Amino acid sequence: MTDTIPRFAGFGLGLRREHQRDFVEHEQPVDFVEIISENFMACGGRPMRTLEAVRERHPVAMHGVSMSLGSPEGLDPDYLGELRLLARRIDPLWVSDHLCWTRVGGFATHDLLPLPYSDEALAVCIANVKHAQDVLERPMLIENPSSYVTFAESTMSEWQFLAVLAQETGCFLLLDINNVFVSSVNHGFDPLAFLAGIPADRVRQMHLAGHSAGPDGMLIDTHDAPVCSEVWQLYREAAARFGPCATMIERDDAIPPLPELLAELELARGHAASPRLAA
Amino acid sequence: MSLLARQNAFRSEIASADQDGRAPSSTGMEIYRNAYRGRLLGALETSFERTRRWVGAEAFTTAACHYILTRPPCSWSLDLYGSDFPELLGDLFADDPEVAELAWLEWHMQSAFAALDAPQLDAAELAAGDHAPGYWDDLRFDLAAGFAALPIVTNVCALWNALSEGDEEFSVTRTAGNNLIVWRQGLSPRFRSVDGAECLALESFAHGGTLGDLAQEHGADRLGAWLARWLGEGLLARMAPN
Repeated sequence: MTDTIPRFAGFGLGLRREHQRDFVEHEQPVDFVEIISENFMACGGRPMRTLEAVRERHPVAMHGVSMSLGSPEGLDPDYLGELRLLARRIDPLWVSDHLCWTRVGGFATHDLLPLPYSDEALAVCIANVKHAQDVLERPMLIENPSSYVTFAESTMSEWQFLAVLAQETGCFLLLDINNVFVSSVNHGFDPLAFLAGIPADRVRQMHLAGHSAGPDGMLIDTHDAPVCSEVWQLYREAAARFGPCATMIERDDAIPPLPELLAELELARGHAASPRLAA
Repeated sequence: MSLLARQNAFRSEIASADQDGRAPSSTGMEIYRNAYRGRLLGALETSFERTRRWVGAEAFTTAACHYILTRPPCSWSLDLYGSDFPELLGDLFADDPEVAELAWLEWHMQSAFAALDAPQLDAAELAAGDHAPGYWDDLRFDLAAGFAALPIVTNVCALWNALSEGDEEFSVTRTAGNNLIVWRQGLSPRFRSVDGAECLALESFAHGGTLGDLAQEHGADRLGAWLARWLGEGLLARMAPN
């Protein structure tokens, strides 16, 4: 198994159903495309033909939402097997998933649920990431989710947890800048402290997205709006701190026509090329 | 609290019914609970769009919420959530059997769309080759990608077509002895009604039946007509000799 992932300094979009025809029928100005892995696992027919056509034109990153790396019950071998089959078929830039749990006792949550940042959770995640990387025969990228609760069991910060996870497993990081901002507002931490605590040499991709206002002043990671000014500012800081890496605009709801997202991606190119604002 | 105990408690809180009378323990847990229900309801609304239009949004939401509470998801793919929703609709709308039949059709058309590929068989491939004595009698087939069959008691195929054309005032009628089949031809999901004999003949392939078995049961003429139609419709896959 290779133990590194080369840096890829491109700008991409997610392959959403609303835009599949645009990507299949026309050349689009993106450097890579990200798919939700589960949408193409154990699948044939038109979805697979579409993915194969897109793959002929663009590098593809596989982004999962159901690995459940925070499960003390371990990983689902059937899931891992299907994921490995898809990775072999697509030859992706990388395979990513989230620092979260999505399954317990046969119950699938279909949401990225938060973990306490405890020694027990860290040991579970380290074991699961190592297992997944062994099966996939490649290092993974792990993404920070948004969260809306904290736990009494936590003994470290999220960024400390991620840094140790990367150090112990050799995984790389997918930094979701919107999630950093959302969680910083919800839990009252300094988002720049989060960025400062992340090992720069492990970051390979950044996600950008919009969010919405929730109850009691909380923010919700809804992926249904353009990137806001605070997140752009944090992205400029992250781009300066972490150097060249892949950047993607994530939109999963209220999906606009493709040209709108391409225009937003052009904004990302501009921000990445401009100097940081914060010290 | 151990991590596993924490996750089980979390699960109980987000998946519990409002009638339990327990308020969420925090604003954050309320966000998770709403997101869980909203995501599952959205998945059912997407998968059963025609059924929702047929029964109305309010009745559909009531049924969907009951389903979400009683049959929580267990698959890693949200696309697989709702496989037995038609069965629940059959119980809830016992006097309106077209509801469950329509939901079954929607579910299987969607499943066939993305089903794993099965190599389609055409007439030329079947006829080619040096055929030894007994060749035809021993032939077996797999069925096309996404094949599924259901006994039906209404004109649900016509209902599907009416809803596709925006006609929501369609008159449902009862039928007898019919079956509904779904499969994928090339990249396109298909469906049609078949009588009981043809349905059993097709399903016999899934149990290892041969052409010889079918010829004996139904006669060569009837089987020949079926075979020509099945090949034309892409209903048969990969030839598997005994």
